[in-house]
Amino acid sequence: MAGSDFHSGKRSGLRIESVSFAYNHSRVLCDIDLEVRQGEFLTLLGPSGSGKTTLLRLLAGMEIPSSGRILLNSVQIDGPGTDRGMVFQSYMLFPWMTLQENIDLAISRTNGHLKKKERYVLADEYLTLVGLQRAARLYPFELSGGMQQRGAIARILALGSPYLLMDEPFGALDPVNRVRLQDLLIGVWEHASPARTVVFVTHDVDEALYLGDRVVVLGSTPGRIIAEVPIDLPRPRARQTYFSNRRINELRNVIVEHYQSDVIEQLESAERIGGNGQGI
Amino acid sequence: MDRVSDAAAGAALEKGRKDVSVASGKRNVTGGIAGFIRGKEGIIFFIILIIAWQAVSELASVQKRFLFPSFLTIAHALYSSLPELLKGTYSSFLILVPGYLLAVAAGITSGIIVVNTPWLNRAFMPFARVAAPIPPTIYIPYAIALLSTFRGASILVVFIGAYWPIFLNTAAGAAAVPSQYRDDARILGLSHSEYLRRVVLPASLPHSFSGMGVGLALSFIMLTVAELFGANAGLGRFVQYYADYADYPRMVAGIIYTGFITFGAMELLERIKRRILFWVR
Repeated sequence: MAGSDFHSGKRSGLRIESVSFAYNHSRVLCDIDLEVRQGEFLTLLGPSGSGKTTLLRLLAGMEIPSSGRILLNSVQIDGPGTDRGMVFQSYMLFPWMTLQENIDLAISRTNGHLKKKERYVLADEYLTLVGLQRAARLYPFELSGGMQQRGAIARILALGSPYLLMDEPFGALDPVNRVRLQDLLIGVWEHASPARTVVFVTHDVDEALYLGDRVVVLGSTPGRIIAEVPIDLPRPRARQTYFSNRRINELRNVIVEHYQSDVIEQLESAERIGGNGQGI
Repeated sequence: MDRVSDAAAGAALEKGRKDVSVASGKRNVTGGIAGFIRGKEGIIFFIILIIAWQAVSELASVQKRFLFPSFLTIAHALYSSLPELLKGTYSSFLILVPGYLLAVAAGITSGIIVVNTPWLNRAFMPFARVAAPIPPTIYIPYAIALLSTFRGASILVVFIGAYWPIFLNTAAGAAAVPSQYRDDARILGLSHSEYLRRVVLPASLPHSFSGMGVGLALSFIMLTVAELFGANAGLGRFVQYYADYADYPRMVAGIIYTGFITFGAMELLERIKRRILFWVR
């Protein structure tokens, strides 16, 4: 694939070109320029109101930019496509289908020519990947929150999209499940062939640091990029020693500084408005 | 979930109170009767009703007594009319079942499609708002004039009666499908028709079933009223026929029998609903 891209002069990866997005006359995103390389694990870090979910929905094609454009392998995105799988914050498998049937919904997109039995075998493979092989015939209401989210991830993996867009997918989970799923995701990403590109949204600095090749920090109101920090630490990263590394602490300080300066700025501007009596 | 735990807590509280009164040795009479009645209220109410009926039957003046036949007379009339009533049930169901099932199929399908087709939504919904509240019994004379057979006319009015509540509830359900489901469906690349069949249909089924409950009750009303108008068989016809001949024991037996049939049909629907909507929590 890389070869054909080279010959046709196409640029692979996702490219966001001066994208702005307004909703009900209020600016959500302002002049975003960002390139996501093929095979990269990019984490988007930002406080609430920084438009990080909106940016992900734009990449998914669920929303269309007010201005600017988004290119996928040099082709402008104008709607959702199965080349971009998205996992939402509020995970929802369809409650009237078993786990297996939920996964099959994704498999039948790309492997519609297979018989149902063969597709179910494939579905079970994806469920094994996320450790849910024994739950294949269970319904979502019979599963815990962590298992449901693993199921939602398996469903998106089964879609086979080269691009994975993940919107705080572990936000609602307890710390143990969160760590498990982070490791699972990294494992799947590292072993994926062909390589998969991940754009992962979070508001947790450590999660962004542990997962990403690069952390993009978004500021709020309106959302804009305030820093891009490459995380130049080798993989596989061992969680036990990762956060005691000196380099990672330097990077964390840099990120936290950007993150906080934005928050302080927000507070100050709120005060100014209050001083003029406009906020009342 | 909360309601269940509340009920459990309430039951525990009740139980606790009872335990305390037993432990403290209080044995007042009302407590004893209340304890005996608990859980049997339904049966006791029926017994009281029968006794009251019997009392009215005994105490009514001679001129009015024939309007209140005794319980035993009615029971005998019910038993001796059973073959005729069963035949009437069969004849009624030949009208009710096709009319109702057609309404279920049409109501659910059109509810889902109308809500998910913007121009159809704009065109049909204003009409539905005007047409749905029309009392369906008002169509009966026209339906009889329109269709040559009584059976066809009755099926039509049963259909009209059941259609609107099923359509309106399904439409409300289809409009209330969580946006998350639509997002998921788009990400998974489902086509529009697949989205309607595999996502909107099941997601709005809980609403459809409440419409089907209302629709079934209305179907029975439409059926019996239509039969009063001009059937030569059926449950409504049975009651009308014996009322015309002042055979009130049989007439009351017919009313009671129709009550049981209606109750049975509603119970059946409830069971089907619980089986299909097993995933609703």
